[in-house]
Amino acid sequence: MHGIESRKRRERVGDAVALALVVLFAALVLFPLWWIFRSSLMTNPEIGSLNFFPSRWLFVNYPEALKVFTFFQYFLNTMTIVAPCVIFGTVTAVMCGYSFARLYFRGRSFVFGLCIASLLLPPVVTLIPLYIAWIRFLGLGGTYWPLILPYLTGGGAFNIFLIRQFIMTVPRELDEAAKIDGAGRVRILLQILVPSIKPAIIVVALFIFIGIWNDVLQQTVYISDARRFTIALGLKKFSGSYGTDWKLAMASTCLSILPGVIVYLICQKYFVEGIVMTGMKN
Amino acid sequence: MARQEARVAKIFLIPAFLGLTFITYLPLISVFVLSFFKWTAIMPRPMFVGTANYVRLFTKDIFFVTSIKVTVYYAVLSVCFSMLYSLSIAMLLNRRIPARGFFRAVFYVPYIIPAMAVYMSWSLLYNPDFGVFNALMVQAGLPKVTFLADSKYIIPSLSVIAVWASGNLIVIFLAGLGNVPRVYHEAAEIDGASSWQRFIHITFPCMTPIIFYNLLMSLIANMQVVVPSLIYAGSNRTTYPEYTFMSFLMYRTGFINNDLSYASTISFIFFLIIGVFTLILFATSKSWLFYEGGDR
Repeated sequence: MHGIESRKRRERVGDAVALALVVLFAALVLFPLWWIFRSSLMTNPEIGSLNFFPSRWLFVNYPEALKVFTFFQYFLNTMTIVAPCVIFGTVTAVMCGYSFARLYFRGRSFVFGLCIASLLLPPVVTLIPLYIAWIRFLGLGGTYWPLILPYLTGGGAFNIFLIRQFIMTVPRELDEAAKIDGAGRVRILLQILVPSIKPAIIVVALFIFIGIWNDVLQQTVYISDARRFTIALGLKKFSGSYGTDWKLAMASTCLSILPGVIVYLICQKYFVEGIVMTGMKN
Repeated sequence: MARQEARVAKIFLIPAFLGLTFITYLPLISVFVLSFFKWTAIMPRPMFVGTANYVRLFTKDIFFVTSIKVTVYYAVLSVCFSMLYSLSIAMLLNRRIPARGFFRAVFYVPYIIPAMAVYMSWSLLYNPDFGVFNALMVQAGLPKVTFLADSKYIIPSLSVIAVWASGNLIVIFLAGLGNVPRVYHEAAEIDGASSWQRFIHITFPCMTPIIFYNLLMSLIANMQVVVPSLIYAGSNRTTYPEYTFMSFLMYRTGFINNDLSYASTISFIFFLIIGVFTLILFATSKSWLFYEGGDR
């Protein structure tokens, strides 16, 4: 009895230490974010100081930054790429994931193997031939198509895999019961499977969103017209030069962080559920 | 019935077929084929040159060896510390602490910040005149450090950013920790195992498949590092060899110097190098991977 008591006490001390460490690390992780936000509200000389808060909160930095960093235009441009990718990438991922999970055909495991193997192929490797194909063969230079089309193929192998894993956790009996009731495959997919794998679908949509949001290389390669710049390319304007206007650069950076964080916070509930339920066991 | 099933499957898989063929495997073959040609921006069609590109790469290219060195150094450093950091945080978050959801979100946020914004933010933090680290060092009476423009510090400083932004690994580790069967822990507790013993003999073995997955994915992701070089391209910082990552070398060759065929040669070697790392990981994994329910 005594042993269990002392072990419980030790567990409680352990939890308290864990909490303290988590708070410490969370503060360290958040610090850079706070620092750029506080810098976005300061004068340039004050940014170099150790002031934790701005001595005067200069919200005027934001309208001023918008003159150089045309956020709304960049945001619209980015969404022109993101929206079709997220919608059609998710739809095609569900179609393909469903086939791999539920439909049998000869050579299925081979095709699935090719799909999984492509996870190990770094996208950077195929940049040159794809560039040649899009620009020289298909004449798609100056458009967003080279950035959008690759996502319409199931949104990438990982997303297909994720959907497949999820559908496999749904009991087959549900399909069978619906089939007896006379439902076709498309109806089974739409009315039974899609509602039960909603978290996975949201995770896939979020992953596609993050993928494009994070990308710099492809956008640098395919977009050269400043009017078609995405948020990432717009931010690049501030980099590199010695005369960086830091307050405007940081206000623009804060603006560009915001949409992603908002989307994440909306999806967060499903997101964690989605990752946990994937049973990333293998 | 079965024929119809196969037909539906094939129709539904059209996007995947197209993707695997035209976005993945055909381009991979093309990279290999193109590496034996010469094709610059001004040439209307490619010219076969045999292994000339490879000879040039291995004997004349002064950036090639450097690029491998800095890429591997960066990737190994970033992967090791990201794994250590994210596994530790996941273990801490797996205990009974309040507001877990909030903390999980905090650690994940750096991952959803667009890469360009991440490097913009850190270039302020690391800045010698405006950055907080140097302000602190001056306060402490230490000399200033130009983190992003000093050969000694560039790669470690960039790795710190990679570790900071590795919150996605934490979420996956947490999912894995949730899957470790509770009965094992309870049994060990009854036998009087300490929490360290339980970590070494239960949690760690059960987690090895997820550790392997994270290790592989984070290695492949970090080997492709290019954004820091892209941001500083055009400024004099690219003169530091530490920014010549392999992806950047490929980008510069193909899109700044307009030599697409030579860039393909670099791409293909880059693919082989990542392939070798992947194979090493897979080969060694058999000795330390543990699957519940015996060997597979």
